[in-house]
Amino acid sequence: MTSFALAWRTAACYRMRSLLAMAGVAIIGALLFDMLLLSRGLVESFADLLNSSGFDVRVVAQEGLPVLRAPIGEAARLASDLRRLPEVDEVTLVRIEEAVLTGATGETRVSIIGSTRSSVRSAWTLLKGSDLPDAATPSADACPLIVGRHLAEARAIAPGATLTIRISAPHRPSALPAVACRVLGIGDFAFGNATEFAVATTMSALAAADTMRPGDEADLVLVRSRAEAGGRAAARAIARVRPDLHAYSNEEIVAEFNQNGFAYFRQVSIVLSSVTLVFTFLLVGTLLTVSTNQRLGQIAALRALGIGRLRIAAMLLWESTVLVGAGALLALPLGGLLAWRLDRLLREMPGLPERLHFFVFNSGAVVEHALLLAATAVVAAGYPIWLASRLPIADTLRREGVG
Amino acid sequence: MPSRASLTSGAVVVFLLGSALRADEPQLPDVLVTRQLAARAELHVGDVVTFASDANGTRAARFRIAGIYEPTPDPMRFTAARMEARMHLPDVIALTADPRDPAAAEAVDAINIRFVDPADRAAFQSDLRARAPGLAVTPTARAPEHDPFAVLDRFHLAISVVTVLGGTAFLLALMIIRAEERREMIGLLRLIGISRRSLLVAVLLEGFFIAVIGAIVGIAIALAGERMVNMIFQRRYDTALVFVRVTPSVALRSVAVAVPLGIAAGAAASWSVLRRGILSLIHR
Repeated sequence: MTSFALAWRTAACYRMRSLLAMAGVAIIGALLFDMLLLSRGLVESFADLLNSSGFDVRVVAQEGLPVLRAPIGEAARLASDLRRLPEVDEVTLVRIEEAVLTGATGETRVSIIGSTRSSVRSAWTLLKGSDLPDAATPSADACPLIVGRHLAEARAIAPGATLTIRISAPHRPSALPAVACRVLGIGDFAFGNATEFAVATTMSALAAADTMRPGDEADLVLVRSRAEAGGRAAARAIARVRPDLHAYSNEEIVAEFNQNGFAYFRQVSIVLSSVTLVFTFLLVGTLLTVSTNQRLGQIAALRALGIGRLRIAAMLLWESTVLVGAGALLALPLGGLLAWRLDRLLREMPGLPERLHFFVFNSGAVVEHALLLAATAVVAAGYPIWLASRLPIADTLRREGVG
Repeated sequence: MPSRASLTSGAVVVFLLGSALRADEPQLPDVLVTRQLAARAELHVGDVVTFASDANGTRAARFRIAGIYEPTPDPMRFTAARMEARMHLPDVIALTADPRDPAAAEAVDAINIRFVDPADRAAFQSDLRARAPGLAVTPTARAPEHDPFAVLDRFHLAISVVTVLGGTAFLLALMIIRAEERREMIGLLRLIGISRRSLLVAVLLEGFFIAVIGAIVGIAIALAGERMVNMIFQRRYDTALVFVRVTPSVALRSVAVAVPLGIAAGAAASWSVLRRGILSLIHR
């Protein structure tokens, strides 16, 4: 009989304890799997979100994260300068304001995004109606609007409706006149979240509605690099021509967020992965040790029948592998289910883009999960193997017989 | 109605352009700098520093460092290097207000108000909104639906529940092994007349003591872990923020979960042996 067959018989003989041990490994393994998904998921999801906009360089007036709004003056001239760079394919100016939507049902606070976009790929996906006109195309509407899905649902807004919007400057009393805007379409904003309402319009319409700021100001400049140059080269080229501004490629932003913005979740992931591994090792190790102690007589009898130390050691290693392996297999679907639930829970965090996910499946995490649990199974079997291999056969049989 | 109001200019970006050691200029205004800024720029109390509204030194002003302070830890910004300074409001306005805007010298970003009776807040809000349309009047406390830490709390709770479930499965497996080990002894005790009920009470008591000792050891490990985690992360992020805190309420909750679970696991595992007949227990 092979060592594996002996281990399998032992697991089958003590069915209840084996099933409970597998269940324990499955639950703890699911948590370990989720922590491995969490360690990369947020960063991967954030990178996907940034890349989905079709722009790979962001230009801002301030170093680091734009916590304080720092407007970029003479934005049209800047856009024209950047377009002339050989590394740059397309430039879009973005301006973001707070506004109040007035109507019969009361006032609703919204974020209004103005952009000079001139391509189909943008920060929103059109769900209904038509898109905003290109900056170069003359439009019949003084204030065309794309309304975010959540706002459209909350206020029952459809394409063709007219909305009255008043710009409100944050932390400042504002008495700007309200502007009538026509809804062209309903869209899903890439960076939109479920708790905040957003609308988008053209840069010229937003500048006309907000007379408190100079008309030629932008908050952010989005740049698409030429494929042959890449985002990093484009960011360096922009920094050369405008050293007063700060240009970041998507990779740099992701790296920055990974270091700072997502630090909490990275640390949680590292701490919990380590804790779950230690927990699994301790529990499987204890279980195998107690189980081996209980079967010392059996093991001594097997040794007396001529089964060598190595086969006994292999049997105990297989026992550990069967318990941890079966648990690890169960841990994957269980972990997937748990990740889905935890992701939903974490995405309730206010201000997070709806498309951002904390747990993103990747094959690397599955391989890492398997390797870590395999190593745990081997280490956990270490002490029981040592115990069984130095067992004095005659003494043990006599003791067990007398007992 | 309000008992106290303070004007704040929020956060403005100013540039530290240079420092000189202990100059004898008694009329200079005071400034406080954070411990992190003092360490980075090698500043000391009494030093004279120059702040300006931009890196070119526009509208620069000299200040004397009156003190170095530890910034209030902010969990939302624990990874940020706190390069901050605090100066009197007129000094900030003089440094940053736009000289072309006559109203700039009178402008502040926010007015913080504390009420004698907090119940007056709603009335005050509506009164002020009516008197000054366009003014944002909001409570400083974060509403629960806008609190990211409420979500993190639920996340941690969910992870604790999963860990407890996994631990319970292992505990049950261990208790079953222990019960099996003592099968013959239980058979003998039953033979000499000790009732199932007495044996069950003994098992429950044993489970209770093991669970209590386990919970106490667990809390001791958590306290040691608390020190270690705080030490590592406070050093890593150069902050006074407390990352982990084992409060009496957390410790009590752990005991409240661990003890019943330990007793239940012991009882469930032993019952499979106790319910058997005496002859079966002693292999007859």
